[in-house]
Amino acid sequence: MPSFFQARPLAALTLALVCAAAQAASPAANDPHRGGTLRLLAGSGAGTIDPQVNYTLQFANLFQSVYDGLLAFKKAPGTAAFTIVPDLAEAIPQPENGGKRYVFKLRSGIQFSNGRPLTAEDVAASFRRIFKVSSPTSGTFYNRIVGAPACIKTPATCTLAGGVVADVKAGTVTFNLLEADSEFFDKIAFPHASILPADTPAKDVGVAPVPGTGPYQIASYDPKKLLKLTRNPHFRLWSADAQPDGYADVIDYSFGLSDEDQTTAIANGQADWKFDPVPADRLPEVSQKYPQQLHISPLTAMYYIAMNTRLAPFDNPKVRQAVNLAIDRNALVKIYGGSRLATPTCQVLPPGIAGHEPYCPWTKNPGKTWTAPDLERARQLVKASGTAGMKVLVNSNDVAVEKQIGIYLQSVLKDLGYDATVKAISSNIQFNYIQNTQNQVQISVTTWFQDYPAPADFLNVLFSCASFRAGSDSSINISGLCDQGLEADLQRALATGITDPKAAAAQWAAIDRKVTDVAPVAVMFNPKRLDFVSKRLGNYTFGAQFYFIYALAWVK
Amino acid sequence: MTHLVGGPAATPAYAPGLWRPVLRRLRADRGALAAAVLLLAIVALCLAAPLYAARIAQTDPFRSNISGQITVNGAARAVIEDNAEGLGLGQTPIGPTGAASYLLGADSQGRDVAARLLYGGRASLLIATVATLLCMGLGGALGVVAGYFGGVVDAVLSRLLDVLWAFPVYLLAISLSIVAVGSGLHLGPLVIDSGNPLLPAFIIGLVGVPYVARPVRAQVQALRRSDFVLAAIGIGVPTPRILLVDVLPNVSSTLLVLVPLLMAINMLTESALSFLSIGVQAPAASWGTIIQDGLALLYTRPLVALAPGLAIMLTVLSLNLLGEALRDALDPRLAGRRS
Amino acid sequence: MIRPLVARLAQMLFVMAGISVITFAIFFATPGSDPSARIAGRNATPETLAAVRLSFGLDQPLPVQYGLLMQRLFITQDLTSFMNRGEKVVPQIVAATPVTLSLVAGAALLWVAGAGLFGVLAALRPGRALDRGLMLLGLVGVSMPVYWLGAVVNLVTQSRFHDSWLFSWVPPLGYIAFADDPWGWFKVLVLPSFTLAVFYIGLYSRVLRSALIEANQQDYIRTARAKGLSERRVLLAHALRTSLVSVVTLFGLDFGALVGGGALLTEVVFGLPGIGKLTYDALQALDLPVIMATVMYASFFVVAANALVDMLYAFIDPRVRDA
Repeated sequence: MPSFFQARPLAALTLALVCAAAQAASPAANDPHRGGTLRLLAGSGAGTIDPQVNYTLQFANLFQSVYDGLLAFKKAPGTAAFTIVPDLAEAIPQPENGGKRYVFKLRSGIQFSNGRPLTAEDVAASFRRIFKVSSPTSGTFYNRIVGAPACIKTPATCTLAGGVVADVKAGTVTFNLLEADSEFFDKIAFPHASILPADTPAKDVGVAPVPGTGPYQIASYDPKKLLKLTRNPHFRLWSADAQPDGYADVIDYSFGLSDEDQTTAIANGQADWKFDPVPADRLPEVSQKYPQQLHISPLTAMYYIAMNTRLAPFDNPKVRQAVNLAIDRNALVKIYGGSRLATPTCQVLPPGIAGHEPYCPWTKNPGKTWTAPDLERARQLVKASGTAGMKVLVNSNDVAVEKQIGIYLQSVLKDLGYDATVKAISSNIQFNYIQNTQNQVQISVTTWFQDYPAPADFLNVLFSCASFRAGSDSSINISGLCDQGLEADLQRALATGITDPKAAAAQWAAIDRKVTDVAPVAVMFNPKRLDFVSKRLGNYTFGAQFYFIYALAWVK
Repeated sequence: MTHLVGGPAATPAYAPGLWRPVLRRLRADRGALAAAVLLLAIVALCLAAPLYAARIAQTDPFRSNISGQITVNGAARAVIEDNAEGLGLGQTPIGPTGAASYLLGADSQGRDVAARLLYGGRASLLIATVATLLCMGLGGALGVVAGYFGGVVDAVLSRLLDVLWAFPVYLLAISLSIVAVGSGLHLGPLVIDSGNPLLPAFIIGLVGVPYVARPVRAQVQALRRSDFVLAAIGIGVPTPRILLVDVLPNVSSTLLVLVPLLMAINMLTESALSFLSIGVQAPAASWGTIIQDGLALLYTRPLVALAPGLAIMLTVLSLNLLGEALRDALDPRLAGRRS
Repeated sequence: MIRPLVARLAQMLFVMAGISVITFAIFFATPGSDPSARIAGRNATPETLAAVRLSFGLDQPLPVQYGLLMQRLFITQDLTSFMNRGEKVVPQIVAATPVTLSLVAGAALLWVAGAGLFGVLAALRPGRALDRGLMLLGLVGVSMPVYWLGAVVNLVTQSRFHDSWLFSWVPPLGYIAFADDPWGWFKVLVLPSFTLAVFYIGLYSRVLRSALIEANQQDYIRTARAKGLSERRVLLAHALRTSLVSVVTLFGLDFGALVGGGALLTEVVFGLPGIGKLTYDALQALDLPVIMATVMYASFFVVAANALVDMLYAFIDPRVRDA
């Protein structure tokens, strides 16, 4: 930002050095790399551009440089991106009242892209809006704010009185919680808690852009053709860690091309980055011809097989163990793209999440890592369970990798002695279809990518009784596991996390082992993210939270 | 497609017993003979699929073999080989080996493409045949009833046929398939599972009904006004007998000509539906599903997509040739065009 | 003249209404068609789900939903998608129409020219080598699955031989609007039009040929020949005119079906965002408003083409008029 640097030269120099050290963060005004148009590709738009409603990886990646929350995930490479830094707030507040009260002091001088200054009232209004628009996480992330239960019940009249208190004169926002929450800061940094102007309509905006405080603004959005980002004219840099300025002047995010055509476009230099994965039959080609344009980054995510613990034959633990033992995780890794792109795993928590301790009981020589399938033991277990010969229907979606996994799984189940068939349904509906108990899905192939880097986001969300709702399209505990002992463990770990994160991590590790032993699911592998970028793209930065940090990439 | 290759046949009245000259003409037509031989060869090969898979190729075309190994020319090779070039990403199924096992190579599940091709032919031919029979039966019956009885019956049936006819073919087939693939078909006591290949056969047959019903209806309408039918009604012959003795034999030549042509159309439709993943379901094979599998391998193993497409083309071609020959043989006036 | 016209119109409306009801019924019979959970997002609470359902109007009884859907589609024209909230459906159709029209018009030009040439050439000397060869070629064209042909074309032009002089002009898959770049628009459409036309060239050349030959043998043609007119003149002046009638009517039906979205497979394989692709994507996504709109659009063209063809026949052939 010009005036700041001219007025305080020494500070400017120090800042510049610090910035340079932190891997070429926010570009200065006279940076030669500044400018140009960054061209992004995806098969289609990811639905609504309402940051408080959209719940997709694709647009969470987009929103990171368009909107801000009180706190943010640091825009740094790798797992440094898991660090929470102050964004619109000046500093991360200390917990008061046993973790039930936080007072955020807003930075001054920040404006929305429509010129309106940011005030505490916008913050309060944004949090009320989370409930008014029925944000997907209103009931799960933000339900511990005082006044939230009433808001969940009757969203239209949501006041959050006493929950989010704004003091415009002092520039502070006070949060009062019903109970302490060790993941409160993650949730504040999550895109659903983006701060929007107070006069944003209290319903899903759909395709109409909402002004934000980030370096870019959404100029237009046609979900079938193009989303255009231009520079936010009112953006001033306040924290390079939280919200760096962008290099490109314009960002064109085009939709409509298939993943094959996207790969061809990047190879021909017609686009710079694509969201969709490189199709399997192009991997050898890009690996050989464009190795410098490929970036592989680990992800805190898993591909897993959900088994319905309330339906035969998977209500029998022996059968679930057999499935875990029989699947050749190497073959599954091959389907995904090879051992450089995925790592076999048996447990729920992925590496990189606190509480992950390598553990694998479902292999030939049980121990820390998976080595080989044990078909013999698996067959014995199936025989002992007395379910051999039963009809089993595998459910997967029609995305290339998952479809192939489904076909492979059917073959394995047949080898185990079941009358197995597989059905691949559209990826638009499969995820909700397998959650609804009315559909009687016995076994399904699905994935789970983190919301934020907390073990509870895997173990609590996927396996607690509260996440199971019979007859609902939204019952993320797909395996239907509800174990009172596990519930107690989960609550204890959550509570411990508030005061003693290290002890909590050990508890989560124990829960991880317990759930892996009960085997309501068969975790297959942890995928890595492969980004294929154009030759001209420089300073590629991958943050583990929101992936490709496009603001920091230059094209000149 | 709104019509069949070459248009509907002319409708002279044949009494039974005049089939010998038809067969004679067919045998004289060399193109028809070649087509028939080709078709028989394809059918025979496909029927021999289990034999091929068990004895010759010795592979299981429905069992995933991703981590498998085979010996080619004495050397052990992985069925799906890891890519070692550059960054070493991805893997490629083995290409055509020229040996009995994996003659045409493997697909992305490590299965023998040649064996699957033969099994796929069985499925495609079976579905096309069943669909055609359904079409003929239902379409023929509707056409006869609508054409003969006229009046309200015709009006109602014609409106139904109109709706079926105007419904964009693929949309109807796709919509029905999406529902059926989801939950199967329940028609009173008749329950067809969503994995059953008869389901796409049923849908394709249903969609093809207007193609048969319309020309049959037109022909029966003309027959209804013809002298001998009017005479039969005049002397009080009961309707079922008229239909059986006078109407059906004349309609049968139209239907017969339609059989190979409709088989051809239904084969193409089945392959399109399987290509869109709403026909035959995995891991069963049909030529359409193998093409779909092959498209995901197009850049590295194009043969997987090329082979089934060629198979479809040859089969449909021979069916079309036979259909033409049959039409020419049935109507000597039309046959006159040939020479 | 008016009464049959009105009757025909009424029949058209009846058919389209029937199709809309069937589409609606099929959608609601499909398991997993409720978009609420998809829109509400993963792990949404029951309250959130209920609120989203309410906002879609999915709690209303089916006939009311049908009525509202039709009203929003045809009368107020503010029907919005289930998949992308707030995105209007009618503008999507309007945007996709020129793409399909370009593709289909291009293919039609190719197939009329191709079939005309092949058919006339074949009919000039029936039974000879040229005739047999052309007809076999036509039959091959009719026997290929169009999506497979498209895939092979792509394999050759985009992958295997893309760098060679023969195909380096081939642009990447996708569509370029005429207004943006006329030359690019043309290049983008060449291969897809050709692929789509292959089937119809095969079909129409055979139809034209047999129609020409049949017309050739009609009595009045024999008379013209007896009068001493040259073979070519007989063919072009007399036979062609009568045989053209049936070909033109067939063309009308096919063109109508294609414009309505029948080129679905070609558009999908070549990545052209036309009506066919729009329909296909909507069916995959179970986006009822878009499905309904595209089905209505497609059936309108089929029904209108059928009506036009029937009226044309009635006009030309007085015998049919009384039927």
